Amino acid sequence: MAAPMELSCWGGGWGLPSVHTESLIVMAYARFSGAPLRMSAVDHSWSAPQGDVPVLISEDAVIAQPAKILNYLRKQKYNADYELSAKQGADTLAYIALLEEKLLPAILHTFWVEAENYCSVTKPWYASRIPFPLRLYLPGKMSRKALNRILLMRGEPPLYRLNDVEAQIYRDAKECLNLLSNRLGTSQFFFGNTPTTLDAFVFGFLAPLYKVHFPKVQLQEHLKQLHNLCRFCDDILSGYFRLSVTDG
Amino acid sequence: MSRDEDSSIILAAEPWPENAALYQQMKEEQILLSDNASSLAVQAFLQMCSLPVQVVCRPNAEYMSPSGKVPFIHVGNQVVSELGPIVQFVKAKGHSLSDGLDEVQKAEMKAYMELVNNMLLTAELYLQWCDDATVEEITHPRYGSPYPWPLNRILAYQKQWEVRRKMKAIGWAGKSLEQVLEDVDQCCQALSQRLGTQPYFFNKLPTELDALVFGHLFTILTTQLTSDELSEKVKNYSNLVAFCRRIEQQYFEGRDKDSSSTSRFSKGPLLR
Repeated sequence: MAAPMELSCWGGGWGLPSVHTESLIVMAYARFSGAPLRMSAVDHSWSAPQGDVPVLISEDAVIAQPAKILNYLRKQKYNADYELSAKQGADTLAYIALLEEKLLPAILHTFWVEAENYCSVTKPWYASRIPFPLRLYLPGKMSRKALNRILLMRGEPPLYRLNDVEAQIYRDAKECLNLLSNRLGTSQFFFGNTPTTLDAFVFGFLAPLYKVHFPKVQLQEHLKQLHNLCRFCDDILSGYFRLSVTDG
Repeated sequence: MSRDEDSSIILAAEPWPENAALYQQMKEEQILLSDNASSLAVQAFLQMCSLPVQVVCRPNAEYMSPSGKVPFIHVGNQVVSELGPIVQFVKAKGHSLSDGLDEVQKAEMKAYMELVNNMLLTAELYLQWCDDATVEEITHPRYGSPYPWPLNRILAYQKQWEVRRKMKAIGWAGKSLEQVLEDVDQCCQALSQRLGTQPYFFNKLPTELDALVFGHLFTILTTQLTSDELSEKVKNYSNLVAFCRRIEQQYFEGRDKDSSSTSRFSKGPLLR
């Protein structure tokens, strides 16, 4: 705990500290729990780690994947869920599962598979942050991985083709957003007045969808109609990320 | 979307027939842990709605199903597979267990159902198809049992490849067995905490969540595997065990069936 821990993650844009969901989840959690993390954005120098991003580098460990990083932070006594009851802890797990099953496929599709979005927004952004010549290959790989994940999770017969799967995943995502909005209601955060792990996850999933400017905006339009979710994202951005919003 | 609504209006007009059938694989020799859990969940759900259904075992049930998953129900001239669509279908016919819930509770119910699918079902699939000991001793022999050699081997390997691909896509391929069991424990802990001392997840009346949880937990508790680790994880939570017993007594006792009701704790003839 003596030396500050370093978090390597994708950089920000459009008013967000990071445009990458998993990086954003870890950053939000760190802010909520008060963990001193030094952010270093992946840029075009070769010194940045090329594996799974975000990666937490501390004195004694190198940890990838948001769930593991959050566990590590909790063990280091940076726990944002301290005041939650057992039932609320259980609810957190359940809602995270809901996000991953219902919302994630549509978000992956919007960012990585939808041709216009991918070519005009996602690919140029990521390519500008990855050193040459990896930038010619890595965004394509991430896109294929996203498509693969969508098809394997959802593309079962009779939904063989991407078009059929698309309709289903967007339906599910809109339903999930409605459920989240119902659950949030008028409170500031999901469990009262202090943000917790669930808030970090929801913020990580919703903020890029909310802020990034896309040509094809089906899901984004739906999200913008759910005013309490938009307010939720804006509150966290202004409350916890005020100082670093200018990071590019 | 409107096409779905039209068809569901037509469906709603027909009442539930007497000869509705639920199809699954052969109970004694063929069915696997995850499919048995899914099938039991649907059976429990239909029992809770007081809708009669006949369980029919066919070795090619998986191929007969419109989505490739078991179980599926054949009602009138409709065929619907998997718990989610079946719940929708039953709702269109006017039967629902979750109508009494408010919006927040419905969101919670859906979230917990995803938790069970995300963790328990995936852990069951992992154990069956990615744990070498279980694959060798139980899965391969059972999966291909109705077919002659070499078809039984080919089908088993094909399915295994499919499942492993899916595990890799969702990031479970790198997990060890201990980590998977940890995840099961975490899931059971969450379910146990949510259930508390209530009889059902939403207090007095069961919902599709109760059916789903029952299907998985009961199957885990009563299935003989290469080791007892998986069922031990569930047994740690006494309220979950009591929950299973309660649903079994209320909805399955007195039904025909040699298997489900009687061999509750003896780990006997239910599954090998």
